Amino acid sequence: MSKLYKIGTPEQQEYLRAYNFAPKGYAFLEPGIIGSDAKEFVAFNIAKSFYQVYPEVFNLAQVEKATGIKPAEAKKRLKRLYDEKMIMLVKNSCVGIMGFGLYYWVVKLTPNATPEERKEITDFFQNNDQICTGYPMLRGGDFDFFNGNHMRNLDNLIYGVLDKFRSKPYVEYVHLCPVRRLIRESSVNQFDAKEGFRHYFFGADEAKKAASLKRGMDEKDFAIIEALNNSPTVAELFDYRVLSELSGLKADEMREDLVKAVDHDKGVIPMIYLNYRALGLHQRFYLVSLFENTPTWRSEEIADELAKDGRFVNFFDFADAHHNYMLSVYDELVDTSEIRERLLSYGEVKEVKEALSERQFRRWTARLDSENGLYEECIFTDDVLLDRSQEDR
Amino acid sequence: MKIMEARPYVVEKLKYALNPRSIAVVGASRYPSKVGNKVVYELQKWGYKGKIYPVNPRADTVLGLKAYHTLRDIEGEVDLVFVAVPAHLVFSIVRDAVAIKAKVLVIATSAFKEIGRGELQNDITSYCREHELPLIGPNLVGLGSPYEHFNCGFIPYLPVPGPVAMISQSGANLLAALGTSQEEHLGMSFFVGLGNKADVDFSEFVEYADRDPHTKCLAIYIEGLDSPEAFVKACQKASKPIVVIKVGGSKIGVKAAFAHTASENPESDGYYDAIIKEAGAIRATTWQEFLDLALALGLEPPLRGENVVLITNGGGAGLLSCDHFERLGMPLRELKDISPLLAQKIRAYMPMFGSPLNPVDISGTASVIQYRGAFQQALRDPKVDAVLGAICPTAVTDVLGVAKAAAEVYASTRDLAKPFLMICQGGAECREAIRYLRDHGIAAYPTAEQAVNAMVALRRAKHGAAS
Repeated sequence: MSKLYKIGTPEQQEYLRAYNFAPKGYAFLEPGIIGSDAKEFVAFNIAKSFYQVYPEVFNLAQVEKATGIKPAEAKKRLKRLYDEKMIMLVKNSCVGIMGFGLYYWVVKLTPNATPEERKEITDFFQNNDQICTGYPMLRGGDFDFFNGNHMRNLDNLIYGVLDKFRSKPYVEYVHLCPVRRLIRESSVNQFDAKEGFRHYFFGADEAKKAASLKRGMDEKDFAIIEALNNSPTVAELFDYRVLSELSGLKADEMREDLVKAVDHDKGVIPMIYLNYRALGLHQRFYLVSLFENTPTWRSEEIADELAKDGRFVNFFDFADAHHNYMLSVYDELVDTSEIRERLLSYGEVKEVKEALSERQFRRWTARLDSENGLYEECIFTDDVLLDRSQEDR
Repeated sequence: MKIMEARPYVVEKLKYALNPRSIAVVGASRYPSKVGNKVVYELQKWGYKGKIYPVNPRADTVLGLKAYHTLRDIEGEVDLVFVAVPAHLVFSIVRDAVAIKAKVLVIATSAFKEIGRGELQNDITSYCREHELPLIGPNLVGLGSPYEHFNCGFIPYLPVPGPVAMISQSGANLLAALGTSQEEHLGMSFFVGLGNKADVDFSEFVEYADRDPHTKCLAIYIEGLDSPEAFVKACQKASKPIVVIKVGGSKIGVKAAFAHTASENPESDGYYDAIIKEAGAIRATTWQEFLDLALALGLEPPLRGENVVLITNGGGAGLLSCDHFERLGMPLRELKDISPLLAQKIRAYMPMFGSPLNPVDISGTASVIQYRGAFQQALRDPKVDAVLGAICPTAVTDVLGVAKAAAEVYASTRDLAKPFLMICQGGAECREAIRYLRDHGIAAYPTAEQAVNAMVALRRAKHGAAS
């Protein structure tokens, strides 16, 4: 039986029935799409602009209910976690229904690439506003960078980003990995997870282990984040009375709008991101390639089986690429040899490459480089209006 | 929101909007491509001398300045709070502005009444009024003054200093005027975008401008008048001439004005004609005319009679002018009828084929010396109320030389308080001459009709408050 996708608005469902393919292209003209500054998403935008100073925008009653931590204490803790750059309130847009393509790409440097060359390309990735996210890997891994763009124009990625560096002598290869399914990101199940939409996989066990490392967050801190990320519905993430006081907008209307945009239309996921760099954690990435003769249904079946494993922090499923999945785990919190064994236990798996990352460049549009004084500076490059192939000519 | 008359506390506090000792920029970004960054950048670039407090909950420094996470974190006194953040964040910032006892609030943010959030705009306005915090905006581009080196907003340049107070509901047209000022030396005393003008109204800026020592004329661009009574009252009280352009009168323009600055225009265009007339202001029809009249009213004294002498080296410019004077109901009189003595004396400055009629054609061969003499004689004649000079750039005309001579003559006859306007129709040398003349207090124009419009406005404008 074919899978019936239920993402998007009723208008989008209608569109799917009529045209038999998901709307893609000029996002804001597609049926049911809302802009990131739309009224329907205003609750998130208010919280995003105020939580640094007013952590009470979060639903502290929900935190107390789930953890027993009193609102005053939770508020204090959230403030400290932000001030120490350990968390960030973020959102993931469902690129499939927003009309974007999600393109990750893996970069491997040559073995003789010098530290200066590595720095040069690292700085380029960090400062290029067209690159939405990226993970630099520590030297010595099987690959060196895993970066991603959500773009509506593939030529712009090729001309505007990839062509700017891929012919450098110290670049061995760049493998483009278009995302077929965004399954998990920063421990939160995404739009293409088979089940458990929005579920946050950082439970008591992980928290206990992470807290034992004494890197600035204790079990209570982790419990607060879990309580918010795993709020029963997105409506429970925020305190609408506070949002209303801050903005002058109507609490009930904001709540209703956000529930529609997230829980009903599944167009976007607001969530709290753990900045693993500030926590001194590493993410070990596994780049998995299946044998070329593996049918797609089997590839997806494996993906769904692996996705049940809550140890995976990120899980991207690719199409039309050399590789099939990219997964990651927190190196300090799991038995990584067991993870490798698990991956290789599938006869369809041809190869698993590994690399270790100690930080992320950007969290989509929000920069993470606090060393440059730019933590949470949000940059958005709307590539649909541009023709990068005509630049620098 | 409607007011019946300009509120004294608002007028009193507007000095903090245009000459603040300190500014907090809320929404000051660290990224150079963002508007919030530009506000701080332009303040620094144009040499603002007061204190700048960038406010950004995520930043510790912005453009080398210490950044504050909220307004409440600022230790010093804040005169002006400039808000450049999305609409849903504004109310909280307004409360903070009240809490820190800021003197004036400027909200650049859009997406209020013009997109259907009238209730939020009204709530914010009521709160500001309750706390006597004047709110300029929302939905505006900025404000500033070249005399104070103060450029506050999303504005790439300051105008050249001068006499015109430019008060505009439209940001785009304000920017256009500033660009014209830079290029064509239309000097301004200050400029402000009013946007939706939720709180601070035209009338209050009229009263402020009337007190401002640098302002000689008020130029007001209106899309909608929420408080016509207050506007009329303030204009009637004003001692300085006022030129107004009122737009949004066409069928589709009514809708466009609402979408732009939430301006409602339920009345006919004739209604606004009557209001502007009652206010004692002059109404311009086109943007160019608006700027032209503002320039003349700012630079020149009132025209006390209708004896205008036109001195030109080209018959064409003279004829265009004569016809246009007549069209506007203020025909030129022959020179012999104005001053028979001048008609005789002025022959000394022209060849035998010149014409002392009016226009006085001193011919295409006229030299700087001849121009100087003719201008001087005409301005000094007690029967003459004003002189309109015209330069046509023939191969032997020293255009800039004539402009310099005109400026010298005007400086030496300024105590006579007679308007002296110039037409310089031609190419690059004429544009240079126009800029030179404007810099020296003479309203100069590239076409005859523009100059004639300006001269007639000097006659018709109200100078001095209504008794």
